[in-house]
Amino acid sequence: MLLRGLTWLVLFQLLGTALNHLLLPMLPGPIVGLLLLLVWLMARGEVGQPLSEASSSLLRYLPLLLVPPAVGVMVYAKDIAADFWAIVGALVISCVLSLVLAGVLMQKLIHRQSARKEQP
Amino acid sequence: MTPDVQGAWTAVVHHPLFGIGITLGAYQLAVAAYERTRWIFLQPVLVSMLLLIGVLLSCGIQYGEYRKSTEILNILLGPATVALAVPLYLNLRRIRQLFWPTFTTLVVGGVFATLTCVALGYAFGAEHMILMTMAPKSVTSPIAMLVAEQIGGVAALAAVFVLITGVLGAIVGPALLDRFGVTHPEARGMSLGITAHAVGTSVALQESDECGAFAALAMSLMGVATAVLLPLAVSLVT
Repeated sequence: MLLRGLTWLVLFQLLGTALNHLLLPMLPGPIVGLLLLLVWLMARGEVGQPLSEASSSLLRYLPLLLVPPAVGVMVYAKDIAADFWAIVGALVISCVLSLVLAGVLMQKLIHRQSARKEQP
Repeated sequence: MTPDVQGAWTAVVHHPLFGIGITLGAYQLAVAAYERTRWIFLQPVLVSMLLLIGVLLSCGIQYGEYRKSTEILNILLGPATVALAVPLYLNLRRIRQLFWPTFTTLVVGGVFATLTCVALGYAFGAEHMILMTMAPKSVTSPIAMLVAEQIGGVAALAAVFVLITGVLGAIVGPALLDRFGVTHPEARGMSLGITAHAVGTSVALQESDECGAFAALAMSLMGVATAVLLPLAVSLVT
């Protein structure tokens, strides 16, 4: 079961890689694969047992898979030090502003939608 | 004959399995530390990264060698990214009723989060490579890393910026939303998911199921939207 789901995932990624080379040079192969799989799931209307098993086991270990690339920071210590305050400032201010904006906006829109429903 | 301790040490440290071994070890230590303390600063990826940098520096191993020996984990990252379609599909089915509020917030909030970060970084004088790496900071790491590389940034740095943003959003998010009177669980979830991706989602799940579901949805929508639109936008601008 697990292997069958894994085969599907690999197949979709390879399809994505092919499309990336043929048509969409600006979208990475795995992203194209993700979109293809999403369209396929919507067309089928359900997630099969093998696919759901394979995706949940892979995603459980996703943080582990991210560790080796993250260690690559050690190569860029100099670049980080050069722009340290610009990086921290931009990340912190942008994060705080967008948190508030998204929350307030969503709440306003929900209120508006329910108000419209009550008085049609 | 004296035992060749030096030789044995070199053989172990430069064995192709050494990289995998220390990665698995460091990750499990980091996960155990996080589960014991539940302290949001102790994100397993961040802690294992610091542990591993320490080990590599003290053993005198170059990053290139370590990267090569952990290639097998790297190969699995592709199918794992594809697998993100499954939770996205399951979450999409839940939002029929709130489709327009969700969609509008995603577009406005997502564009705002990305633009302010790049604009502020530019204003503070960061160089181009750093700007392109910061642009996808509100997106879950595998997607952010692919996108950063695509638009001229650095995957490794993107992973770290993403983590910093996530941890920060998760720490200040709930209090900030309280202060601005955002009480709807759906609105709180959207806000946490858009800006603080997976870390924000884990905080949202602690608040309520509904809040967590919207955070998970916002995170995956934001990820896919950024993956598709950001490279396009960058190729149009430059």
